[in-house]
Amino acid sequence: MTDGARGPWFGEYGGAFAPETLMASLAELEQAWCSVGQSAEFGAELAGLLRDYAGRPTPMTHARRLSREVGCEVWLKREDLLHTGAHKLNNALGQALLAKQMGKTRILAETGAGQHGVATATACALLGLECVIYMGSVDAARQRPNLLRMELLGARVELVEHGQQTLKDAINEALRAWVSDPEAHYLLGSALGPHPFPALVAGFQQVIGQEARQQILAQAGELPDTVVACVGGGSNAIGIFRGFVDDEGVELVGVEAGGAGIASGQHAARFQGGVPGVLHGCRTWLLQDGDGQILPTHSVSAGLDYPAVGPEHAELLALGRAKYDTCDDDVALSAFDSLARLEGIIPALESSHALGWVIEHGAELQGRRVVINLSGRGDKDLDSVFALRGKEGQ
Amino acid sequence: MTSQSDNSLADNRLVCATRVLRDQCARGIAPYITAGDGGLACTLEVLHALDRGGAHCVELGLPFSDPIADGPVLQAASTRALAAGTSLTGTLEMLRAFRQAGGRVPIALMSYANPLMRHGLSETALRVAQAGADALIVPDIPLEEGALLEQACAEAALCPIFFAAPTSNDDRIIQAGARSRGFLYVVGRVGVTGGGTTFDSETQTFLARARALSAAPIAVGFGIATAADVRAAVEHADLAIVGTALVRHLHACGSNPGERAAAASAFLAELQTGLS
Repeated sequence: MTDGARGPWFGEYGGAFAPETLMASLAELEQAWCSVGQSAEFGAELAGLLRDYAGRPTPMTHARRLSREVGCEVWLKREDLLHTGAHKLNNALGQALLAKQMGKTRILAETGAGQHGVATATACALLGLECVIYMGSVDAARQRPNLLRMELLGARVELVEHGQQTLKDAINEALRAWVSDPEAHYLLGSALGPHPFPALVAGFQQVIGQEARQQILAQAGELPDTVVACVGGGSNAIGIFRGFVDDEGVELVGVEAGGAGIASGQHAARFQGGVPGVLHGCRTWLLQDGDGQILPTHSVSAGLDYPAVGPEHAELLALGRAKYDTCDDDVALSAFDSLARLEGIIPALESSHALGWVIEHGAELQGRRVVINLSGRGDKDLDSVFALRGKEGQ
Repeated sequence: MTSQSDNSLADNRLVCATRVLRDQCARGIAPYITAGDGGLACTLEVLHALDRGGAHCVELGLPFSDPIADGPVLQAASTRALAAGTSLTGTLEMLRAFRQAGGRVPIALMSYANPLMRHGLSETALRVAQAGADALIVPDIPLEEGALLEQACAEAALCPIFFAAPTSNDDRIIQAGARSRGFLYVVGRVGVTGGGTTFDSETQTFLARARALSAAPIAVGFGIATAADVRAAVEHADLAIVGTALVRHLHACGSNPGERAAAASAFLAELQTGLS
């Protein structure tokens, strides 16, 4: 069974809550994914790009000094070493290649932290596609290096000035742009949105988990006890979880942004502080008020600063197959430093939430083997981290 | 059609209004306003003005924080209405007051899936019907998820309204028309609300196709701003929906309910010259 054939629902979550104008484009995409997207030729072409252009397989690194510090055996799946510096390129290359096969010439995309925007701009440059990226102004300010990279790669960046001016608003605007231009392909960056996007994006990201499983077996000789990943929309997490979801003994942990703490109300912890609802095309857990209005979110990490979570995660929670917890801003910032100093790896602030959770829960993880999906590198975050330090120093 | 929902809709104001239009080979105007834009006191007066002025239906928008099918003008109206504290409960109280004061125009409540589903779509649909609305329009509930809307509307004796767009194939238009009651909402142009729709031959061909395929009367919306637009729109459509232009006009009139009501009357009267 192909991913497309799995249908639009993950248990009670998912669906296709999109305006009628887009339904033909969504059906066309599903059709292409189920036919061309499953062909041996397409698979071989994508695998070739991932290997020769993007740098797959990414390594699995045994973080020895961090392991000693935490008291458990920590392994890092190094998506930070993928071309453009994050896992986002897996999906961007896959969808851009599919769009090209579909005869599309123009790509629209949203971005939060800028990693998906950079990955999309990169894939479009490589494949000769026109590229327009929607980015909230607040995110553009805190992830300026990525804004510059997108422009350098030939993309047009449209700043979104309304709402909270972060990822949610960028997706709103990208969806509106797609409603006005359904001939374009909307290259959605996370495992959310209307069917077939959640399954499509997860399908392109599951390479992370497939590699990680083989690597940990080869390098450690056994499966891990726990797999940990940060969850914004949830694409890096679903990518690595899919490699281990059938291994019942492997605990799967998704880490949401705890922001300034759940009690503060300033966070992006949908499973802790939300209830199910419909946003951006799918039914899933949302941060919303009693009237169904979407609530503002907060995270030090732009990539996790989003009020909804991918529907496959909602199903994994409902099934009890994965658990979801949070990591606050300060713990993530401290983990950012720890990995830099102990392992010589500067992690993305998003990935620092997964690291922070493991460091914070070291006592209960004693002696266990833990694989963390290091979803991206932190170069893009230096400005905002040092700006925060500057503020604290005052 | 023999379904229970059709029987229970026999007295539905919207079903009656569009049936009369069809029977008389007449056309009508359905203004759109955002509930609570300028405050619900303004909305109430504007509703009365549109009713007295002879609107055939009013599409009343319940504001949502993330309206993905709306252009900048209606997004801003939603933001203003929410900032003014507009809620579903407040909107329904206003609607009840409108009916108690003798308001007769059919009301189609438009909102997005999330605010309507927050406490269960069926429960909310009952409250909406009890307050005096006649239909539900939910732009992010397409046919694929439509059973949910149909069931909630059937239980509440509301008309479920689906959409057809220029990107819809014939089969989808047939389905959307068959599953809608009162009218089928035809999006005149590929895009979000607002902006201009050019009623060129391509648009007219699409509208004629929608009219031919739809079992329900058709209302065309998106980008209809002037009497000339109305005239072109109703060549094939039973109803012309005018939203962005009216919302922009009312917002420019300040927040005095009386002044807004007068402005709404005058705007509607001007649009109606396109019907003759």
